[in-house]
Amino acid sequence: MNERILVVDDEESLRLSLKFKLKSAGFDVDTAIDGEEALDKLKVKPADVVLLDINMPRMSGIEALTIIRQTYPQTEAIMLTGFADFSTAIECLKIGAKDYLVKPVDTTELVTRLRSLVRSRSTEHALQEVHQEYLSFLSDELVDPLRKIETMLEQVSKLPGDAEKERKKLLTGARDLVGKLGSKLKLVADVAKRAEDTGASGSEDVSPTELTEKIREIRKGSAR
Amino acid sequence: MSPREEKKTITYLYKFKFQDGREKKFEVVLDEATLELRREDPDPKPEWTKLKYSQCENCPLPDTVQYCPVAVSLAGLVEAFSDAVSYEAAEVTVETTQRTYFRKTTLQKGLSAIIGIYMSTSNCPVCDKLRPMTRFHLPFANSIETFFRSVSSYLTAQFLLMRQGHTPDWELNGLQEIYKEVNTVNKGMTARLHLATEKDANINAVVILHSFGDGITYFIESGLIDIEPMFDVFLQRNNTANPDKAR
Repeated sequence: MNERILVVDDEESLRLSLKFKLKSAGFDVDTAIDGEEALDKLKVKPADVVLLDINMPRMSGIEALTIIRQTYPQTEAIMLTGFADFSTAIECLKIGAKDYLVKPVDTTELVTRLRSLVRSRSTEHALQEVHQEYLSFLSDELVDPLRKIETMLEQVSKLPGDAEKERKKLLTGARDLVGKLGSKLKLVADVAKRAEDTGASGSEDVSPTELTEKIREIRKGSAR
Repeated sequence: MSPREEKKTITYLYKFKFQDGREKKFEVVLDEATLELRREDPDPKPEWTKLKYSQCENCPLPDTVQYCPVAVSLAGLVEAFSDAVSYEAAEVTVETTQRTYFRKTTLQKGLSAIIGIYMSTSNCPVCDKLRPMTRFHLPFANSIETFFRSVSSYLTAQFLLMRQGHTPDWELNGLQEIYKEVNTVNKGMTARLHLATEKDANINAVVILHSFGDGITYFIESGLIDIEPMFDVFLQRNNTANPDKAR
């Protein structure tokens, strides 16, 4: 699915020229004439990135930015201004804008920045996913079995001297769990090594999405 | 001025009326035959109008030219709106000999129309190519109207070139090239205006002109698809002559 861009500017010719350019660059583009209309449109359909003019009637770009960052944290914002002003730029970046461009905007540069922003956004999301998957893996596949082993060993230590059969059963269970843990750790180490090797050899890096898949496979016990 | 002299000029009188009652007037007078701006230079000329002061990247003027012709033409207007914001509401009236235009709009939109005339009639060697359009100046035009005027003007020039034995450019490649160069001037002018103004009205007016330049490229690349249905009366007639196409 194409990334969705919402262009917000009170001037029709600017909205139209940006729409032409961004559509031909492959983005899904919608426009709004000011901050209020932008908020109405975001309510109906969220955008990946909002291009926001700063000086607009009714609701300024900075007011709209503040509301957008609070209400739609997944939507990134790039500010556009005709009059370059360093303090306004800093204010926008503090509120959460990702960039600040002075009009007339070089549309080729804008497309490059948008693609870079969209790419870093999806990488960020993918890394968050790896992180979550990895935490679940640590908890379910390593920490829980270790706790079980610990409990078994405690039970063994409390057994009376003549409970040989029970002791053997518990120790066998603990040994099985240690074996499973060992093979899972080996698989994780193997994935990490492959990721490192592909990076070092200059071939395409293992992406965060692939890492997530690998960890899922290991959890299912199907990884090689 | 005698009636005979009056015939030799075209005048656009721009009146801006603001909500607080302020009014500002600007008269643009062009030579009727050459469409060259008849201007009265400010005295002294502001520093920011010097050619070397943030000169456009593609400026072909020699170093012997001391002042940027567009900047000098814009000086009075820029000064008048130096501290104005782009979206300030204004009632703009444009009077010509033939008709009067009126619109409640934003200051930037009104300014953009008048700046467009100044830029193409000031003897800037890059913007000169847009000069014929000023004869059919359309205040407050939207993008499609401006694109149509640009294409029409360019195609007329190609027809005249063809009549003189030259190869016409019906593909409009040259028009895209003209706007690419004009947009470099628009960009240079906004850089110059940053040094001459305190707020964004003048700058955004030029930004609007720049966006027309950007937009027309895509308008042409799309094969004028936005206005194609308006020409059905021509296109269908041709398709009827060629049944294969009509299907």
